[in-house]
Amino acid sequence: MENLVTTMAGNFGGITGYIYPNEYELHWQLLIVIYPYLTGLVAGAFILASLERLFRVNELQPVYRLSLLTALSFMIVAPLPLLAHLGHPERSFEMFLTPHVQSAMAMFGFVYGWYLMVVLLLEIWLDYRRDIVLFGREKKGISKYFYKFLSLGFSDISDKSLLFDDKLGRFITIIGIPSAFLLHGYVGFIFGSVKANPWWGSVLMPIVFLFSAIVSGIALMILVYMVSSLFRWKQMKMACLNKLAEFLIYAMIVDFSLELLDFIHRLYQSEESISILSDMISSRLFVSLIVTQILLGTILPLVSLISARFGKFPDELKRMLYFIAAILVQVGIFSTRWNVVIGGQLFSKSLRGLTFYKIELFGLEGLLITIALLILPLVILYVLVKVLPPWSDVVADQTQSQTQPN
Amino acid sequence: MNKLGIPGQIVPLAIIGVVVIAAFIAARMLFVPDTFGEYGHYRASAVEEIASQEIVYAGHEACNDCHDDIFETKQESKHRDVSCEACHGPAADHIEAPDEFTPTAPRGRGYCPLCHGYNPSRPSGFPQILPKTHNPGKACMTCHDPHSPVLPHAPEDCSACHRDIANVKQVSHHATLSCRTCHDVPDEHLIQPKFVRAEKPANRERCGQCHDRDSDSPREIPRINIETHGERNLCWECHYPHYPEVGK
Ligand code: HEC
Ligand code: HEC
Ligand code: HEC
Ligand code: HEC
Ligand code: HEC
Ligand code: HEC
Ligand code: HEC
Ligand code: HEC
Repeated sequence: MENLVTTMAGNFGGITGYIYPNEYELHWQLLIVIYPYLTGLVAGAFILASLERLFRVNELQPVYRLSLLTALSFMIVAPLPLLAHLGHPERSFEMFLTPHVQSAMAMFGFVYGWYLMVVLLLEIWLDYRRDIVLFGREKKGISKYFYKFLSLGFSDISDKSLLFDDKLGRFITIIGIPSAFLLHGYVGFIFGSVKANPWWGSVLMPIVFLFSAIVSGIALMILVYMVSSLFRWKQMKMACLNKLAEFLIYAMIVDFSLELLDFIHRLYQSEESISILSDMISSRLFVSLIVTQILLGTILPLVSLISARFGKFPDELKRMLYFIAAILVQVGIFSTRWNVVIGGQLFSKSLRGLTFYKIELFGLEGLLITIALLILPLVILYVLVKVLPPWSDVVADQTQSQTQPN
Repeated sequence: MNKLGIPGQIVPLAIIGVVVIAAFIAARMLFVPDTFGEYGHYRASAVEEIASQEIVYAGHEACNDCHDDIFETKQESKHRDVSCEACHGPAADHIEAPDEFTPTAPRGRGYCPLCHGYNPSRPSGFPQILPKTHNPGKACMTCHDPHSPVLPHAPEDCSACHRDIANVKQVSHHATLSCRTCHDVPDEHLIQPKFVRAEKPANRERCGQCHDRDSDSPREIPRINIETHGERNLCWECHYPHYPEVGK
């Protein structure tokens, strides 16, 4: 009997209450946590760029192109966690060949393809066309041909032609915004439509996802802009940072109110799942939800952003506060994704017990792969920035040396 | 602008668009199997392909021709529903040429736990053991005849077959209660559980003997008024008896 007790205690260590046999192990792990995180950054960065373009928020000019490139580099990485999670990446193209229109998950390829090919690449190409053509004229050797190739063999950069670029680009931005909403709303939809899971199943889910995406995207652009300016030894434009901070504040307030609304709605409805969910929040998710998501990831950065934006501080201090707030927001949004994906699997569908989740280090779903997947977009961004410099000063120099003789 | 009046950048973009669409159509023609979608969202010819595979199992009855002794024994035993080839592997070759191909027999300790190792998803009452603690080091056949697995003696504990319930109860407020406090179990149930049933509590008084405020059970047991508490529902419609919880 003693033997039995010890074996049993070993098996039941992290489990409390009653859970079904197929709930011992979580099927969606870290990789599925970073997938919505990455797509959120894409959608957020793109929406920020569109704001500048459509509403001519001129302060944001310095981050416009940078946001597009950031969106692209995160977009390239976004499907990788899914491919790694499912295995057999060589089969992934089959979902394009035999589309299954009744399955939201199977339609991901098309949502992704549309957004990448029709929106992001096209908009970047149109925006950079003039620079590409100029680079093609100016550079030597292989890179000359590389830029010629990028220009797709069309080298007219007369004012009339550039004007058309601008018009078409504007049109694509207009399609782009609903597309970005679609991309990330889609990810929220996947979770929100699981009606058997009370933690996920909610019509608010796509909307909450969308706003948290915007929050994470703006915070990311603050970080990318600050770090890139530091490395280039350039003065950051305070007006731009202030504007970014302002938008971040608005987006965070909307996001936080929506999440609160969702929360209060659940409390008020008080369906039979409420007691296990509150158990889960006060035990398993306490650190990741109450501490990191709400306190560290929302309230603290909101306070520091508001005081830095509207308080009377020296610019250095403001920058410092923005930077810290943006990092905290990233941590907060990451834990939001964690709480949705992992939280939805920690409680039993019998509503009587909780299981536990321990991250593994190695292995396909492990911590190392996850870290690699989070670093990869930054590497891609570095390469993209080298190939297509987004800085207005670089381009300006060039225009002077190149276009004046014409 | 070119001669047609179309802005120039549209041309390369249109070409790429056409190429992508053409590639898509070509890929569909090339890679989508002909019979895809005939019945549903899958390749219809897969059905025929699977049907045409070589048959490797001979089936239960086939063994009766030559091993009728074993067949009879097994039909009488607890393993009557376990097919010969579940343990001996596919034996279609063997019935064609018994001397050339002989099936293997799973003599190691690893095999039987595939069915009998403890797993909470198995139905309650299915005989299960923890291979690590159940007579380690000895082959299962030294004590159990695989063709007629009679137990050397009746299990001492309900957890032999109801380990899922025992496990849950063990970490509950009812941990200290023996199963027999609530269930009258004839000893025969431990040997022939399907034929001799154990009894389940049928009325609220069974719980009231400890929990009613007038009962003379130990003082630390929480009390309710059996006349009014939970009205006319059975106690276990609200409290799982093996893991009683109190709603908040
Ligand atoms: C045509 C008669 C025949 C049929 C039908 C037949 N067997 Fe056998 N089986 C034999 C003979 C003969 C031997 C002894 C062979 C030997 O010892 O080389 C044997 C031996 C065996 C052995 C012993 C191998 C060992 O390691 O000692 C197993 C196990 C076995 N058969 C399983 C089966 C199963 C399962 C079936 C039904 C699918 C089956 N047999 C059907 C004739 C048959
Ligand atoms: C639960 C698994 C299991 C099932 C079902 C089973 N066997 Fe066996 N069988 C074994 C094992 C294990 C041995 C080896 C016994 C030993 O070495 O003591 C064995 C041995 C044998 C042998 C070798 C001779 C002997 O008695 O040792 C024959 C023949 C045989 N089985 C035939 C059959 C036939 C025919 C059936 C179906 C009617 C069948 N078995 C069903 C597990 C099984
Ligand atoms: C394919 C699954 C399967 C395999 C493999 C299997 N068994 Fe069983 N076993 C059963 C079933 C089904 C029962 C009947 C359970 C019941 O009565 O509810 C059973 C019952 C038993 C019992 C309980 C008899 C009793 O009186 O309660 C023992 C002991 C046993 N098997 C031993 C073995 C041994 C030893 C092996 C390995 C040689 C083995 N089993 C392999 C399915 C299997
Ligand atoms: C030393 C003899 C011995 C060996 C070896 C042995 N058992 Fe048992 N087994 C018993 C006895 C005695 C019982 C019944 C009483 C009990 O529960 O302890 C039993 C009971 C069982 C039961 C019924 C459930 C239960 O716990 O009562 C199963 C199933 C079983 N054994 C399977 C196996 C399997 C599988 C192996 C090989 C991995 C094996 N046994 C090895 C002696 C043995
Ligand atoms: C040898 C395996 C075995 C042992 C040991 C065993 N049971 Fe069972 N028990 C079963 C099986 C199998 C069933 C399911 C019977 C059915 O559904 O046909 C069952 C059913 C029951 C039921 C439900 C009866 C019903 O009508 O739904 C109770 C209660 C029960 N057992 C209690 C016990 C208690 C208490 C013990 C220990 C004293 C015990 N059993 C020991 C195999 C066992
Ligand atoms: C506090 C009293 C109590 C104790 C102690 C208790 N049971 Fe029960 N058990 C019940 C009641 C009441 C039911 C009927 C539940 C129902 O019908 O929904 C039941 C139902 C069952 C059933 C059939 C339904 C099911 O859940 O599978 C089995 C089997 C069973 N008990 C086994 C056991 C075993 C084994 C133990 C000891 C480990 C045990 N019980 C201890 C009260 C108890
Ligand atoms: C033999 C006496 C006994 C019987 C019969 C009994 N219980 Fe209990 N019950 C206890 C004990 C002992 C405790 C634990 C008290 C403690 O935690 O200190 C308890 C605790 C409880 C609790 C409180 C759990 C909590 O969270 O505090 C509930 C509810 C409960 N039992 C329900 C039942 C039901 C329903 C039945 C009938 C199926 C039943 N009991 C039959 C002795 C009994
Ligand atoms: C309609 C559902 C329902 C039924 C039927 C029911 N209970 Fe309860 N029981 C509850 C709820 C809800 C609570 C917790 C709230 C409370 O203390 O009143 C509870 C609490 C208890 C407690 C803990 C009291 C304490 O002070 O901690 C015990 C013991 C208990 N019930 C035993 C029983 C017994 C015995 C029966 C059968 C006679 C029974 N219950 C029937 C719903 C029910």
